[in-house]
Amino acid sequence: MKLISKAYELMDNKLIRAGVLAAIFLIVASFPLYFNNHYINIMLIAMFYMLLALGLNVIVGYTGLCDLGYAAKFAIGAYTTGILVNVFEWSFWLTLPVSIAVSIVIAVIIGAPTLKLRSDYLAIVTLGFAEIVRITARNLSITGAASGLHGITRPELFGFRLTSFTHWFYVYLVLIVIFIIISFRIRHSRFGRALAFIREDEDAAQAMGVNTVLYKLYAYILGAVLGGITGSFYAVQMTSISPNSFDFTQSVNVLLAVILGGMGKIPGVIIGAAFFAIFPEIFRDIPFVGDMRMLFFGLLLVVVMINRPQGLWPDRLRANDKLPDKI
Amino acid sequence: MSLMQVTDLTMRFSGIVAVENLSFDVQEGSITSLIGPNGAGKTSVFNCMTGFYKPTSGDIRFRDESLIGLKPYKITHKGIIRTFQNVRLFKNMTVLENVMSGAHSVSKQSVMGALLRHPAARREEKDILEYATYALEYVGIADKKNELAKNLSYGDQRRTEWARALTAKPRLLLLDEPAAGLNREEKNQLSMLIRDIRDDLGITVFLIEHDMDLVMHVSEHVIVVNFGTKIAQGTPQEVQSDSKVIEAYLGSQEDEDAAL
Repeated sequence: MKLISKAYELMDNKLIRAGVLAAIFLIVASFPLYFNNHYINIMLIAMFYMLLALGLNVIVGYTGLCDLGYAAKFAIGAYTTGILVNVFEWSFWLTLPVSIAVSIVIAVIIGAPTLKLRSDYLAIVTLGFAEIVRITARNLSITGAASGLHGITRPELFGFRLTSFTHWFYVYLVLIVIFIIISFRIRHSRFGRALAFIREDEDAAQAMGVNTVLYKLYAYILGAVLGGITGSFYAVQMTSISPNSFDFTQSVNVLLAVILGGMGKIPGVIIGAAFFAIFPEIFRDIPFVGDMRMLFFGLLLVVVMINRPQGLWPDRLRANDKLPDKI
Repeated sequence: MSLMQVTDLTMRFSGIVAVENLSFDVQEGSITSLIGPNGAGKTSVFNCMTGFYKPTSGDIRFRDESLIGLKPYKITHKGIIRTFQNVRLFKNMTVLENVMSGAHSVSKQSVMGALLRHPAARREEKDILEYATYALEYVGIADKKNELAKNLSYGDQRRTEWARALTAKPRLLLLDEPAAGLNREEKNQLSMLIRDIRDDLGITVFLIEHDMDLVMHVSEHVIVVNFGTKIAQGTPQEVQSDSKVIEAYLGSQEDEDAAL
């Protein structure tokens, strides 16, 4: 417990923080040097979940809204990019702004009417909307119906085609850094504080002058845009997408990653996502247990949630904090 | 000059009349109190003034502008800020962050300011921090700024709420039973603070209160309500000697007889 306080204190120093973050970045960036493709592939899955979890964290962790259909947000980005690249032969990079624009429009269409209501309604509407997106994608010919889109051209960067696992590792790494900076800047701003006020006490936030409906909508749009961008990259990395990639389980997975790691805490969310992607993979190779890995994974989730409802990442301890009876 | 005028305010909840034809003025630069026994409709008046309730009829004007139909956050932007009867802090945030929330209505950076952190956004952030720190010092809890609000003692939670309200640099400060749950020492500090807020910062104060000591000590103008209607108004001395007020607070002779 002392150690955690000490660590938080050290991280308050800007120089130390910059040093620690740079060290972590360099260590992670060197992974492709000593891991083979099998592991890099698992890392890509983990990084993909990290991106989604960071996006959903803005909605769930920062603002306290419940979104049960986050899969729809990255489906929209993925299909926008997939269709523009495959059917209209656009360059991938040009599809990104379109993907962002479509995400914003859709978020406003869903958010504007529902965010006026209590946040429970948003959960239901997002759940329904995610199903609508998936079923629509399965039935339209432009989205490739049930089999989805295939052979999406991989993008070029400075005349260099992104093909190998290692290339994508670095693309995702850069994206994660950008998403972390965005999350951090939101959290430590007037805008991000207003979101936290809404999460803590909506009436009091309103009494302090926060236009709660508008700010919830902003948060929802931001989450949708981050999800859309992730979806766009996912489409060209995988080169094929199908409605099954965006089913309800995906939404639940991302939500669980956020809750497991610790809502609203950037390192927590990242660790939650990594845990989510890597844990089942570790178990896969163990005989007997491997077949029941999801069962063990479920049990572990229950145990973690009972013991640490605030998530895996530790909170900063304050002088007046009442310590739990047992540590 | 009157800062706020309440005219013929009526508030009904499905048949129950909480406030009926209530009219009063709040003079600019004054300390005005609204008092009355439990269930007299004080908090309903308050909630109408801050936009949390939409009155059934009547008008509430602030600086000659009607507030009827405005959302609470819009009313806050006009320079009216409230505190809550049962302290409503953002519990899992630090005291400093809580107090910074007051500055929301007097600052304007939004999503782009947060993402780009351009010079205007940085400057505003610095101003918010400075003024919040000043407000914390003003109410005397600057040393607790990094604590979580939920870990504070009750008295300090109240202080945090006052600091939060001051950070909004309001024209009119509405206090909902500010003395509730405070000890004698803290009540004395509160009445000094209320005077300082008016004298130094030029903020008009309107309070709802149960605690007679505080009301009589601090206010210049008192409005007494019972069963949603005004039964008396004037200086503390005037209302204290008003027979209707004594009756409302102590019960009339007939009631006593009936009870016996």
